[in-house]
Amino acid sequence: MIEEPEWHSPSTLDEAIALKSRLGEAGVVVAGGTFTGILVANGLIKPKAFIHLAKVQGLDGIDVGEELRLGALTTHRRVELSPSIRQSSWSCVADCFGLVASPRIRNQATVGGVLCDADYASDPPTLLVALGARVRLRGRAGEREMQVADFIRDHYQTALGADELLLEVVIPQPPVHVKYVKFLSRSSEDRPCVGVAVAADIDEGGLCRSLRVVVGAVSGRPQEFPEACGVALGERMTIDIANEIGRRYSDLTPTLSDVRGSAAYRRRLIAVLVRRSLEPLAA
Amino acid sequence: MMLDPRITGRIQYAQDQHMPGMLHARILRSPYAHARIVSINTAAVPRDVVCLTRDDVTDLEPLYGPMVKDQPVVARERVLHVGDSVVAVAAPTLREAEAALEAVEVEYEEMTGVFDPVEAAGDSSPVLHESLDYPPDLRPDGRNVCHRFRLQSGLGEDGFAGADVVMEEAFSIAGAAHVPMEPHATLAYWEGGRLHVITGTQTPFNVRRDLAALFRLPEERVRVVVAPMGGSFGAKTFMRLEAVTAALARKSGRPVRAVLTRAEEFVTLNRHPARFRIRLGAKRDGTFVAKSVDAWWDTGAYADCGPSVCTKGGYAAIGPYRIPNVTVDSRCVYTNHPPAGAFRGYAATQGVWASERMTDLMANRLQMDPLELRLQNLLRDGDRFATGEILQDVRFADCLRAAAEMVEWGSDRKNKGLAVMLKGMQTPSRTGVALDIDAGGRVVVRSATTDMGQRPEPTQRALASQALGLPMEDIVVGPNDTDLVPFDTRTTSSRSTFMMSNAIREAAAELRRRIADRLEVASEDLVLDGEGAGVRGTPGRRVALSDLAGLRAEGSFATPGGLDPDTGQGVASSHWHQSAAAAEVTVDSETGVTTIKRLHTSVYAGQVVDRPGAELQNEGSTIFGIGTALLEAIEFADGQVTNGNLSDYEIPSILDVPDFTYDFVEGGQHAHGLGEMAVPVVPAAIGNAVAAAGYRMLDLPMTAERIVDARPAR
Repeated sequence: MIEEPEWHSPSTLDEAIALKSRLGEAGVVVAGGTFTGILVANGLIKPKAFIHLAKVQGLDGIDVGEELRLGALTTHRRVELSPSIRQSSWSCVADCFGLVASPRIRNQATVGGVLCDADYASDPPTLLVALGARVRLRGRAGEREMQVADFIRDHYQTALGADELLLEVVIPQPPVHVKYVKFLSRSSEDRPCVGVAVAADIDEGGLCRSLRVVVGAVSGRPQEFPEACGVALGERMTIDIANEIGRRYSDLTPTLSDVRGSAAYRRRLIAVLVRRSLEPLAA
Repeated sequence: MMLDPRITGRIQYAQDQHMPGMLHARILRSPYAHARIVSINTAAVPRDVVCLTRDDVTDLEPLYGPMVKDQPVVARERVLHVGDSVVAVAAPTLREAEAALEAVEVEYEEMTGVFDPVEAAGDSSPVLHESLDYPPDLRPDGRNVCHRFRLQSGLGEDGFAGADVVMEEAFSIAGAAHVPMEPHATLAYWEGGRLHVITGTQTPFNVRRDLAALFRLPEERVRVVVAPMGGSFGAKTFMRLEAVTAALARKSGRPVRAVLTRAEEFVTLNRHPARFRIRLGAKRDGTFVAKSVDAWWDTGAYADCGPSVCTKGGYAAIGPYRIPNVTVDSRCVYTNHPPAGAFRGYAATQGVWASERMTDLMANRLQMDPLELRLQNLLRDGDRFATGEILQDVRFADCLRAAAEMVEWGSDRKNKGLAVMLKGMQTPSRTGVALDIDAGGRVVVRSATTDMGQRPEPTQRALASQALGLPMEDIVVGPNDTDLVPFDTRTTSSRSTFMMSNAIREAAAELRRRIADRLEVASEDLVLDGEGAGVRGTPGRRVALSDLAGLRAEGSFATPGGLDPDTGQGVASSHWHQSAAAAEVTVDSETGVTTIKRLHTSVYAGQVVDRPGAELQNEGSTIFGIGTALLEAIEFADGQVTNGNLSDYEIPSILDVPDFTYDFVEGGQHAHGLGEMAVPVVPAAIGNAVAAAGYRMLDLPMTAERIVDARPAR
């Protein structure tokens, strides 16, 4: 009488895509299982079928070239410890994945998973948006690419089509100055209360040529307000400008309340953390 | 080399126990905080699943509970908290049990709930328990108050007239979860009309007594075997899963095992949320003149040991001070929250928070050094505490000075805080122990001290070794089984090492007498050593211990006492747990994040028996205190726990633990309990340090957000 869910372990990408198309909403994709596991264990979802990707070949690569390519099944821990990433200009990416939860979780959680779950209380999406990273998707109709910023739409919602799988994340060359700050209001292994990513290009004259500031973990998706950064463009970063951008982000960013802090506390933190993230540029 | 079975995985925790033909239990729990059960329909449950409802327990005593009989095996007319047990099932597999829960239909009629102890005691709140038989030593008082502990010494409230300065402030502390790594687990079976229960419990004899009463059996027909626990911290005290598991085993005729999920842990037993209003009166020179403690304890839907918590927390909030005029009014109140009970730091954590923050507020007002103010007022040998007891073996000042020194307490006190406490031990209580010589020539310690991870075994072996004069290798600890061990009140309140050391000493003296009788010599001439038994001055007369197999001796120890619930006078504790802490912090003024720079606890340990064990206990206890200080709070919304998982409810990770130090103040005639002495003082010391950094903290936990929202301290 007990209906056990179906467990599918496709070994090729085509097979996985075919399964996903056929099962539609009923099929839940499992990569590392750290997110799905919590949902199932707490009875929040009761899937009829799982599509387990572990046996699909070629989805777990790290390729450091013109751009950094991270396969969907690459674990956080591999990104964190990868010597080729650490020695490249993308070391900030390794740092950021290394801030997630605990080693046990990072050994399991995947790059594709953290994007497809679109859980607001995550670290990597915030940095990936600031770096202009793209996701490569494949479905029955073929492949497409889009910005991570466009891929994550809201709480647990992405642009992933019903028949699509995420293949990899492609991260362009970062600008000179990149920093991700994870603010924890509680335990060291907590999810972020607020995450701030800054990616800035400063020219030889010390003038700011581009600046992206992204705030994460405070609402349904990473938040970016290019107009708030305009005050810095073509200027030398100062404490006053840092302060002003922080104040603007605090005003513009919609914030939510959860166990890690109230909406009001988060607004207050955004001003502080954005300012602090920009202050090193003023040095 | 013998590896600890915890490391090799060979240890069989309560949740690892199994028997052939065993069924797995699951419990259907109430989604409502307060509701009438209109109907229960189990027709769709498969036939091979055993289903226990209120109709299956009509022949049992209707209610059980360690202090107030108020808890049914499964809900009868009403459910009283979210998570209250409504129907229990047992099936061949856990999956089938899970599926069976979904086949049960329960219709509820939701009722108004009450979630605040002060409100619950008010006239317009719903009455949670219609009629209860209270034992004579409890003082139910009006609506939903299951016990009111009052204390008056000296002139009481009138004593404030003699004060130059009177301060009054309110404090609160949130409910907390014990979070043992191993959840509650019980296996029960019936054999030959006898109930056998293998369970993770700190209180085997309470469980035996309460099961016998519930099933209307003589106590000899109930056997409780204690499995080693993967942590407890107070969670596994008194009857938890044992009643429902035994009832399922009775109905099914099969062994039944129940193991809770992590989510269920959060609705099974928590720490009491508490609120205090403290008034403290002092002379301008700092001499304490009068104190009043007004406390409210939210015990949830069932009293459990709440009446004892409100008593012990009531007098703990007086603090270890000489105060001539004291009143305490401490109320334990039913609400529609999950039940609250024992929690490491038992009631002192709440009381010390309120009391020691108040001490610093007074020091601030009087512009005195908080250390000097405390030293000026601390109880000393021969002083009378507010309960009327004359204190002996007093070490408060030693502990406090040791702690202060470690943070270089001096003229610069910014960011630094202190706390000192007294905590009672379970009194009255008694303990028995037996020493058996087995066929292998080893002495077997028969003791009901339970193992919840604190390693009682090396302590007991060392105690017996010292008392008998035999090497540790000749001593083993026998299984913890109520059929085999003498009565012991329970393994709580850091009493076991103290109580057992006395009982073992007596049993050892008796065993030596018996061996001497066997050898027909006076016991002072008996020599016991690794070679066996011999006679002083007569080298030829020796027997191996194995030749003495079957010899047995018992020893016991009892501490009389108890407090009058109306006046608070009497004997609160046979001896006092004493400790102090000092902390130095930095606070990020823009984010409220507190960083502990230095933290020291100083604990009166008496004679240390097992030093590595003692050190580990105090380290764990300190980390518990850090969690309570900065992180831990069970959040409720209309009675529903909203953070009942370990992602939303956070305990300290090892990365959150700063370098900290501690010392044991040693001396005296006895081993002192020290398993929970850092828990109450650490939050108060950190709170006083945060206050010294400029933030007036009155509520625990001191989350980063609360700190930035706090009023300036001065």
